[in-house]
Amino acid sequence: MAGNQTVTNEAKHHKLEGPQKHIIVYILSLALTIIAFAAVAAGGLGDTFTYTILVIMAIIQAFSQMAFWMHMKDRGHLFPTIAIISGVVVAFLMVVLAIYWCWW
Amino acid sequence: MSAHQHAEGHLPHELEKATLEGRNKILGFWIFLGAEVVLFGTLFGSYIALRHQVLDGPPPEHLFQLPMVFLMTLILLTSSLFSVFAVQAMHRQKVKVLIGWLIGTVLLGLSFLGLEIYEFVHYVHEGHKVSASAFGTSFYTLVGFHGAHVAFGVLWISLLTFQLFYKKLDTIMAPKIYISMLYWHFIDVVWVFIFTVVYLMGKVG
Repeated sequence: MAGNQTVTNEAKHHKLEGPQKHIIVYILSLALTIIAFAAVAAGGLGDTFTYTILVIMAIIQAFSQMAFWMHMKDRGHLFPTIAIISGVVVAFLMVVLAIYWCWW
Repeated sequence: MSAHQHAEGHLPHELEKATLEGRNKILGFWIFLGAEVVLFGTLFGSYIALRHQVLDGPPPEHLFQLPMVFLMTLILLTSSLFSVFAVQAMHRQKVKVLIGWLIGTVLLGLSFLGLEIYEFVHYVHEGHKVSASAFGTSFYTLVGFHGAHVAFGVLWISLLTFQLFYKKLDTIMAPKIYISMLYWHFIDVVWVFIFTVVYLMGKVG
């Protein structure tokens, strides 16, 4: 039995990841998308509140897809994370600069 | 890599990371994706800053049709899931299944492109043109650039699928597939921000 146990652990360590997590991310993304569209289609929620919902839904969806579908949560993804975060920082500055430049 | 656990003559599951060359290609592609984030950031910035400058053209809240955008979102989201399954099939060395998921991804990408072309033609008839206003210019630059990425992805994945028919799935081929799938996920992530910022926020006003 003890021998079998070792084999099972070895097999577990070796197991390929199944589709379950990815289907959950798909359903989550779908739900977040529907919430965002419904919030706009329903109307009457107030502009600021609607904008807040939209931004939060988009960030959660993008984050979960990058973590699971692009495997950024997995081991050995430090440099990819650094690359993407650097990109996001500069992109955010670009958006802020463009708005500041044109609106004030 | 836990190479010692693989029996003689067996390939490791994550074939794309089995060689240093493969790992370097993937890392290099991530750095490229970081630069793509900046590129789309500048386009988003100019769109957000200029989106109220509609001149005589139709304003976004009259132009955009949510059911159509929702359908496009659904198509791209599903194709992104297909590319996850493609990589999983690759890890299991099931080449036929892999080809199936890749063809599914390409077909959904093509239908997304078809809808986008239909949408743009419709907008031009409504008077929403590239040269009509700052809103028109920044809209077509941002959404058109994303569409060009989808078109390039469709071409790229089609060529790889074609290669799979006559090339072995080895440590040269696997990084190519893995990278193209990363690219496809990235396109879907960019679309999340496009439908949020351009279409939904455009509807809010």
